Amino acid sequence: MLTLFEVQSAIAFEQPGLRATEIDGTIVVEGTLVVTDGSAVCDPAGPLARYTVRVELSQAYPRVEPRVFETGGRIARDPDHHINVDGDCCVTVWENWLATAKDTSLAGYLAGPLREYFLGQFWFEKTGSWPFGERAHGMAGMEDAYADALGIPNRRKDILYYLRLLRQPWPKGHWPCPCGSGQRLRVCHRAELWSLHRRISPHLARAMLVRLQPSKSEWFKEGF
Amino acid sequence: MTVHDKRLARSHDDILEAIAAALDIPPGKFEEAKQRYEALGGWLDRPESTLADLDPAISPHGSFLLGTVTRPLTDADEYDVDLVCRVNGSKAALTQKQLKDAVGYEVALYARARDMAQPEERRRCWTLNYAEGAQFHMDVLPALPDAQRYQAQLRAKGFGILAADGDLSGHAIAITDNQRRDYALISDDWLQSNPYGYAAWFRGRMRVRLTEAKRSFAARERITASVDEIPDYKVRTPLQQAIQLLKRHRDCMFADDGEHKPISIIITTLAAHAYNEESSLSAALQTILTNMHLHILERDGIAWVVNPVNPVENFADKWPEQPRKRDNFFHWLAQARQDFAKYLRASPYDTIPAELEQRLGRRLVKRAVNSVMPGDGAIGAPALLLGSGHDDELERARHAVDAIQSSGSQSRPWVR
Repeated sequence: MLTLFEVQSAIAFEQPGLRATEIDGTIVVEGTLVVTDGSAVCDPAGPLARYTVRVELSQAYPRVEPRVFETGGRIARDPDHHINVDGDCCVTVWENWLATAKDTSLAGYLAGPLREYFLGQFWFEKTGSWPFGERAHGMAGMEDAYADALGIPNRRKDILYYLRLLRQPWPKGHWPCPCGSGQRLRVCHRAELWSLHRRISPHLARAMLVRLQPSKSEWFKEGF
Repeated sequence: MTVHDKRLARSHDDILEAIAAALDIPPGKFEEAKQRYEALGGWLDRPESTLADLDPAISPHGSFLLGTVTRPLTDADEYDVDLVCRVNGSKAALTQKQLKDAVGYEVALYARARDMAQPEERRRCWTLNYAEGAQFHMDVLPALPDAQRYQAQLRAKGFGILAADGDLSGHAIAITDNQRRDYALISDDWLQSNPYGYAAWFRGRMRVRLTEAKRSFAARERITASVDEIPDYKVRTPLQQAIQLLKRHRDCMFADDGEHKPISIIITTLAAHAYNEESSLSAALQTILTNMHLHILERDGIAWVVNPVNPVENFADKWPEQPRKRDNFFHWLAQARQDFAKYLRASPYDTIPAELEQRLGRRLVKRAVNSVMPGDGAIGAPALLLGSGHDDELERARHAVDAIQSSGSQSRPWVR
């Protein structure tokens, strides 16, 4: 469970302009977020940019995605800027990050997706392009991100099948291999699937499945 | 950059090093103090001294020995030079009172011969005050060697490895305490102290950087001597400089509450534990301020700052009875983190946030900054040195983006 103390420790030196408080079980981090150029400890010329933000963290972090709001109005509020009208920032596809990051601690989040998002905003402000690319809006972007996390081509049917296998604590060897060969898993890509299973836990796979909102027909297609 | 370089500051480290150098005891003052305590040592060991048969030896301990001395807060305050007067006596032949009086007698004779004020007796030491201009006083701690008993006690408490380490426990001393009931009785049960073991531990926490600093010093001063021949006090490591800055920050923050301020030994011990041989002062400060609290242990619900050379001694033993001291420590730590981080993480190197400037002392900071950034023209140096405006920002951002791309960790924004 994420505690206020952990949050305060994570931001204490890294983000001295932020303050953390606990409001009704949610840890709220507010203030000025600095975007640094990545020098070891300090940039001689100071931070590249500053954004006024509010970050809402659940105690169930990282199971629950943080919500980030740009409250200073520096970023134009439209989908092309990857921000909603209420300032809600679409930082990244959360499960893609959880499935691919080595460090999913709060410090890892601050130094990873959050910094990259605001560095990206700064870059976009200056150049009109996104330095790390961008995902398509809505479901298409999510599928794209999940396919990347699974390391497979972006086909919804395959993504769903992979996730259905991965959500099982113990994918059975007699189930069809997700590669589409028609063979059983135990004689095909069993090792690869288990390696994926270590990276994408059943809990995470379930969360990804839920977010993809499969229809009934999708749910029962390609049964085990 | 070191204090000996005359070039202009170009980074946060250059500025912080200049402030640390301004906080340090000036070399002339250090030499003066050294000459005076050596003269005192010579006096105690002169043939007609009543202590001459006991081979008295004077040597510094505390911040003078550790290289973490900080300038007094005001010109009216004095450097506190802590000295051990170690005599080769035996607890079987001397009471604490006899030792204290014998040392006090000779120190008083010394003061009289130098036309100085008589030494003042304190609980464990004699304080020798010099004339106002000297700006320091000396606390002379009478002591006997007591390593055997110290090591035996360590072994009995299960710290055999520490007891077997001659550097860490082989120079322990027995000291006097005039509040004890056996003060005037022959007794083996004297208070013990281990300042040289602590100094050896402290030196071990910065061994790599100490050697490196001495090597640079030798090269700079064109000295052909080996690194081992250069005395420790000639150089400062990032750990020592960081502790000087932190102690100064503490002094300014608790200028009106000296009694309850976090004590130097706690700051020094926790900082040395947290330090990981970082090569720069900024990195040392970051590591220390981020991690020093992790070295406060909890035993039976009580906070422990363990003496690394005597694990049954708690430097924070006053915290339970005076919770304000504990609260002040954590309050200070949070403030120090905030102040240094605001400068290091959120300011250009030539802009010291007002809060940090205030808590390091405005005059001292201005003087230090002016010594490496003379004139107003240099204040805009980052723009001049690093390029300016839009192109420079974009170039820096490009470096940041490239670094992220090459590290492989990058997340792409989308829209829900």
